[in-house]
Amino acid sequence: MSASNGQPLLQLKNIDTAYGPIQVHFDLNLHVHAGEIVCLLGGNASGKSTTMKVILGLVQPLRGTVLFDGRAITGLPTPQIVRLGIGSVPEARRIFAQMTVRENLLMGAYHRKDRRAIADDYERMLALFPRLKERLHQRGGTLSGGEQQMLAIARALMGRPRLICMDEPTMGLSPLYVDRVLALIQQINAQGYTIFMVEQNAHLALQIAHRGYVLQNGRIVMEGSAQALLNDPEIQDAYLGEKQ
Amino acid sequence: MESFLRTFSDQTINGLVIGNIYAFIAVGLALIFGVGNLINFAHGSVFMVGAYVGWVCMTWWNLPLAVAFVVVALVCALVGMAIERFALYPLRGAPPIAPLLATIGVSFMIDQAVQLLFSRNPHAFPNPLIEHRFQVGGVTVGAIDLLIAGVGVVAALTLYAFLRFTRWGWALRATAQDREAALQMGVNVNAVNRMTFAIAAALGGIAGLLVGMYFNTVYPTMSFQATFKGFAAVVLGGLGNVPGAVLGGLLLGLIESYGVAIFGATYRNLFAFVILIAVLVWRPDGLFSLKPRVAQEPLTGTFIAKGRPVPTPKWLIAPLIGVAFVLPILVPNPYLLQILTNAWLLGMVALSVTLVTGTAGQTSLGQAGFMAIGAYASALLVLRLGWPFELSMMAAASISAVLGTLLVFPAFRLRAAYIAIATLAIGEIVNQIILNWEGLTKGAMGIAGLPPPSFLGWQMIRPHEIYYFSLALLCLAALTQWRLVRSPLGRTWRSLREDEIAAQAFGVNLNRYKTLAFGVAAWIAGLSGAVTGHMYTYISHETFTNTTSILALTMVILGGMGNLLGAIVGAVTLTALPEVFRGLADYRYLVYGLTLLLVIRFRPQGLLGTD
Repeated sequence: MSASNGQPLLQLKNIDTAYGPIQVHFDLNLHVHAGEIVCLLGGNASGKSTTMKVILGLVQPLRGTVLFDGRAITGLPTPQIVRLGIGSVPEARRIFAQMTVRENLLMGAYHRKDRRAIADDYERMLALFPRLKERLHQRGGTLSGGEQQMLAIARALMGRPRLICMDEPTMGLSPLYVDRVLALIQQINAQGYTIFMVEQNAHLALQIAHRGYVLQNGRIVMEGSAQALLNDPEIQDAYLGEKQ
Repeated sequence: MESFLRTFSDQTINGLVIGNIYAFIAVGLALIFGVGNLINFAHGSVFMVGAYVGWVCMTWWNLPLAVAFVVVALVCALVGMAIERFALYPLRGAPPIAPLLATIGVSFMIDQAVQLLFSRNPHAFPNPLIEHRFQVGGVTVGAIDLLIAGVGVVAALTLYAFLRFTRWGWALRATAQDREAALQMGVNVNAVNRMTFAIAAALGGIAGLLVGMYFNTVYPTMSFQATFKGFAAVVLGGLGNVPGAVLGGLLLGLIESYGVAIFGATYRNLFAFVILIAVLVWRPDGLFSLKPRVAQEPLTGTFIAKGRPVPTPKWLIAPLIGVAFVLPILVPNPYLLQILTNAWLLGMVALSVTLVTGTAGQTSLGQAGFMAIGAYASALLVLRLGWPFELSMMAAASISAVLGTLLVFPAFRLRAAYIAIATLAIGEIVNQIILNWEGLTKGAMGIAGLPPPSFLGWQMIRPHEIYYFSLALLCLAALTQWRLVRSPLGRTWRSLREDEIAAQAFGVNLNRYKTLAFGVAAWIAGLSGAVTGHMYTYISHETFTNTTSILALTMVILGGMGNLLGAIVGAVTLTALPEVFRGLADYRYLVYGLTLLLVIRFRPQGLLGTD
């Protein structure tokens, strides 16, 4: 996919971010088109999660702009950004542990007012995640890691977002659930959801993504189609552990 | 036997009624802790505001009781929102100790404002229900008891329904469980915070109104007791646990009621403080949690702001001391000398606070307890055993060091905000013991006729004499402390402050170094207390109160935590400020509270910077 087919849904332009004296991002540029799965790869402390926080307005960049659907959202409070249509599957899932599965799901639609559509979406989620349906009245904290990840994704979908930001969706999951989550991401992408995900596990992410960026010490050092990145010897060396 | 049973059931009803009121206070504290991770020291002040608003409604305006309830709830909700908006909201992102200290400042200001408006004296509170009493199976129940129980049940059910079934209630719970995740669901967590304060304050205010009606009186100092009873109830139930807070309140009410029946009324307040410390130390998650809470938010570090000390040229110190010593000759104004003597003596207390809080990182709000131990020890040694003052003073300081450290010892495993509450409770326990150990301390009467301080035959009666003596002691204390904090010992203390776990990993025995810090601090504070006691010639359980402890901490914050010169500058500033501007003397605590708020917000590293 190239930048020629219209304006991107999400665009980060010349972002510099810092925590106090420590700079995290150096002139970060990336974009996501509607309908894509784009992944941001990188090792520990490369600035991946901070990128998510910048998009969601949880961290303010020093310089640069975040554009969502052509509109600058830099500096807006997080709730407003969420209302504009950016859903989040946070790192480590961040399920509301003391609230029931049902309450967690409906919290995902907290910013919506269309009650009837919310009820429809709720039914759809239960159909999509039969596992959650069995546990509707259990507290979120009692679910297994994989079930919590499903709940986090379902919760994000309840907001009817136009873009879903996922921070390390496979982290800490059993191999069985890793495959399920990846299949699920592809499935919801096929339903029209645009996905921007941060991943440490480059191999897995590139299997399902359309495009990818590689972040190293706060700089984008490589970008391209998932296939190109998978075949790149440098990537294979540094991230895929396939020494030639 | 029958009379025992009757007493027992009367005490049970009494305990449940009072417990119901504690539950009101505790629920508000638990909500605020849950949502904001904040221990709200201003909660008792809102409670008192509720009592006074109710009193105004019923005596000035003759409003019906039901209307009074509504007015109290609304006014207190507004007060709560104002506290959140003006004192706490600007501090978001600051270390958790900053908003905690801000609420202390707010409580000083509200308490003094109420005193100025309504005088310090108690007012009689009319109880429109007082005539009605019912006999139920041999037990007497008053209409007021039923009212309190009824209001309690209605409030609990309403709150439950709100949290469980409304959109705002969900937002509140979500924010309490995971603030950042709630933001990502589109919850405006700042609005939730403010709403939480409004609800908590309305509940606190209603509790104030009920207490006023129950005891038929309102008075400004009811605020601090309420805060503390609330803390004890919340801690019993588990911090941030709302149903636990209700149970904790009822349990505390029962314990107090039975305790008073067994030991006597003067022991009433002791139970809450002892429970508070015991639960914090041995069951920090409360009585009702089955297992420790997962991943408690770390409340480490006392530092409001990291900073460097403002460089003070060494050559300046000697002239400053020189000026202090020639001042009585240049300005022989006894009033001024008296104020500065107070500043020197409080400066020693501030030094002791800056040692434990600034250098060793253990926020202490109990320093007045050490002063009280020192003052009573010296008074008893002089009056009962006929010791000379110069000996009794040293012995008193040592007794304060030993007893004080022993008292704080169980709390050594607590950190930042929790050790602040524990030390505050320890200061109160010292006063409660003084009040109740009549054989030794003459109880509420206090000890009168202390001889003025003397040194090697020199009787200090005139203002400049005690001025010199206290200034010399302050200089000695500062010098000793300066040597200590510059030594390897000082480095170890600072390592506790920066990271206890790392310090432990490097082989630092935490308890030993905390003992040393509190020992030295209690020694200095005890010495100050001994001199102060003999200077006043009269001491009682109300001479060295938590207000003094909080004032000492404010001085240290103003000057810069851990900064020795800062502690003294803070002491002089806060002692002299209300006196310099004569008109401010009546607004003393308003000034202290405002100073605390402004420093925390605009110069958290203090005037001279942290060290």
